[in-house]
Amino acid sequence: MNIVAVCACPSGVAHTYMACEGLECAAKKRKASIKVETQGAMGIENAITAAEVAAADFVILTNDVKIRDVERFSGKPVYYISSNDAIRKSEKIIENIVTELGIA
Amino acid sequence: MNEVLKSLKEFPKHLMTGVSYMIPVVVAGGMLFAFGVILSGHAATPTEGFPGGLATIGIAGLTLFIPIMGGYIAYSMADRPGIAPGIIAAYLANSIGAGFIGAMIGGVLAGCVVILLKQIKVKQEIASIMPIFVIPILGSFVAGGLIYWVIGTPIASLMTSLSNFLKGMSGGSKFLFGIINGMMYAFDMGGAMNKTAYTFSMGMMNEGIYWPQGINTVACATPPLGMALAVLLNKKKYTQKEQTMGISSLLMGCVGITEGAIPFAVKDPLRVIPSVMLGSAVGGGLAAALGLESTIAWDSFVALPGINKPLIFLLCLAIGCVVTAVTVNLLKKEVVEDVEAE
Repeated sequence: MNIVAVCACPSGVAHTYMACEGLECAAKKRKASIKVETQGAMGIENAITAAEVAAADFVILTNDVKIRDVERFSGKPVYYISSNDAIRKSEKIIENIVTELGIA
Repeated sequence: MNEVLKSLKEFPKHLMTGVSYMIPVVVAGGMLFAFGVILSGHAATPTEGFPGGLATIGIAGLTLFIPIMGGYIAYSMADRPGIAPGIIAAYLANSIGAGFIGAMIGGVLAGCVVILLKQIKVKQEIASIMPIFVIPILGSFVAGGLIYWVIGTPIASLMTSLSNFLKGMSGGSKFLFGIINGMMYAFDMGGAMNKTAYTFSMGMMNEGIYWPQGINTVACATPPLGMALAVLLNKKKYTQKEQTMGISSLLMGCVGITEGAIPFAVKDPLRVIPSVMLGSAVGGGLAAALGLESTIAWDSFVALPGINKPLIFLLCLAIGCVVTAVTVNLLKKEVVEDVEAE
């Protein structure tokens, strides 16, 4: 299973990176591969490539602030979550998405 | 029209996007201005020499932060073409006295107008003139016009009464305001609620009212510093990993980053969040009641140069930290090391 995700938050120094960590940990536990791009106060880091989008089963975006360049994910199932949920409940969220999409 | 309504439903996200782009501008402007004032040695805006130059650079930032907020609210709604009309409408709103509320509305109006303009279908040949001429000109005219001729003046009088209300508040009501405001800063430690309180304080600074910012200087710093103190006071209640977090929390607290307390809150939200809220409420309430003011758009020790009563600041900060630390340590149980499942 391949996941791509983008995280951002108002100040772009903490929630952004903790959300990234939350998603990465949750994916690791499921043995899923994940690439998380952060759009923090330093700008875009760990940018997702077009090939990674193409290979992704679904996309997770945080909805605290505007995410740049969302058009590149069109055609993929996109899920918006708050960065707080990404920090605290990533496992549950990924679980739910997997069930909903019917993928293993 | 549906697109506009859909976008308006996400207003908090747009506001937070605006604030997120505004923060570096207001920090740069506020800090440079304050350094200029300190170096000059007088409690007035310096005009000559190096301090004068610093203050002038700072003022440039302080002049821009409200338009930037408006521009990026519109950007969040309508993407790149929203920026220009948003900046113009927000600057205009602020300059006719409608303050940050007017600027926020200006940004939203610009966003709505540009969303509508983007939906106009044009022939391929003239498609390129849309983003370069039609949208910036029409977008700024409509959003700016609505502010200038229609809603700017009523908002300006609303701002005046809000300012007068805040100016006229007595010690007791300031205390209450400080408690509520303090809890907002601590509740999500740098998230949307915290930034809402911060934006309000920035708006009030823009009107020349500095005591809400006094609350900020204390209430944003007590969560990370209070948690660091809690670790110091009783190491037995924190795992090895949390003790390391205490150090980073201390450092972040010293430079005024409330987010430093988040790792503690993530691990144990039900005990940590109420404790940091209580600490910030007490610290913020005291700061407001004791007349703490700050002219710097940031918090904690970094704001010391702009604080009117440094000793009161330290006192409020210390009390807030102690309240947080003692409360959280009372609530927490001792940890049994090596059980941590991570």
